[in-house]
Amino acid sequence: MTHEQDQQLAGSAIDCDAALESLFDFLDGELDGSLELRLGAHVQQCGRCSSRADFERRFLAAVQAARTEERCPIALRERVVTTLRSEGLGA
Amino acid sequence: MVTDAPRAAVRPSAPPAFTDAAIAGMDDVYRFARSLTRDPSDAEDVVQDTYLRAFRSWHTFQPETDIRRWLFTIARNVFLRSRERGQREVAVDDDQSALADAAQAQEAWVRGGLDSILDRTDLGPSITAALAELPESFRAVVVLVDIEDQPYEAAAEVLGIPIGTVRSRLFRGRKLMQHSLAQHARDAGLLSASPSRSSV
Repeated sequence: MTHEQDQQLAGSAIDCDAALESLFDFLDGELDGSLELRLGAHVQQCGRCSSRADFERRFLAAVQAARTEERCPIALRERVVTTLRSEGLGA
Repeated sequence: MVTDAPRAAVRPSAPPAFTDAAIAGMDDVYRFARSLTRDPSDAEDVVQDTYLRAFRSWHTFQPETDIRRWLFTIARNVFLRSRERGQREVAVDDDQSALADAAQAQEAWVRGGLDSILDRTDLGPSITAALAELPESFRAVVVLVDIEDQPYEAAAEVLGIPIGTVRSRLFRGRKLMQHSLAQHARDAGLLSASPSRSSV
């Protein structure tokens, strides 16, 4: 969202189009305090926007839950450390 | 392990905190490299080169800044250099934008279908597959924001793109993921409905 859009939203009532356009910013915590409060109030009162927000929130939570706890292979970690030691690490 | 080395053993010319601060982030850098390369061997090369470059330029790291962001930026640059795609990326992104728009045309079907399965505990592999299928420019943003919990501003800095581009790529990337996820779910028999052409 541009600064100009921020200003427009901050100074006027938020309708559904504006709310949905900024929905991800809202869910990601990327809106400023005033706008976040106003958009949150709209989402809470509007069935359509509330439904969309709930869907996107659950989608993002599912992506987070699917985050693989993949760890760097031990052999790679050792290889990196060996390389860095040859560069002077811990010498 | 280097992380266990006593501080006193580190000579003045070697960055004293490198072992603690940077080596500890290797899991994150490896995961980011995997998402960029989609290949374990290529990812290992990126990690190795990232840490070598990070160590050599450790003196440029600002202690008050986020070290993960710094390492991700180096990893991203290493990846781009290895693929020599810096110049090609914009064109690829433009092409993929049309794909994202097409996916959005089926958003009603996607949302309607996914709504009933998003809470399933066995959705992880399909989400991982949908993420892996994203075009690189979208995938990098989604991984940084949705997987590595980086704010938009950090993703913009790591990727060297304006924050508005982060927003648009994130939006399109998420919509593409949802579309792909719905297709995976349909193929797995979790969804029976055919795509509707209706839009929102």
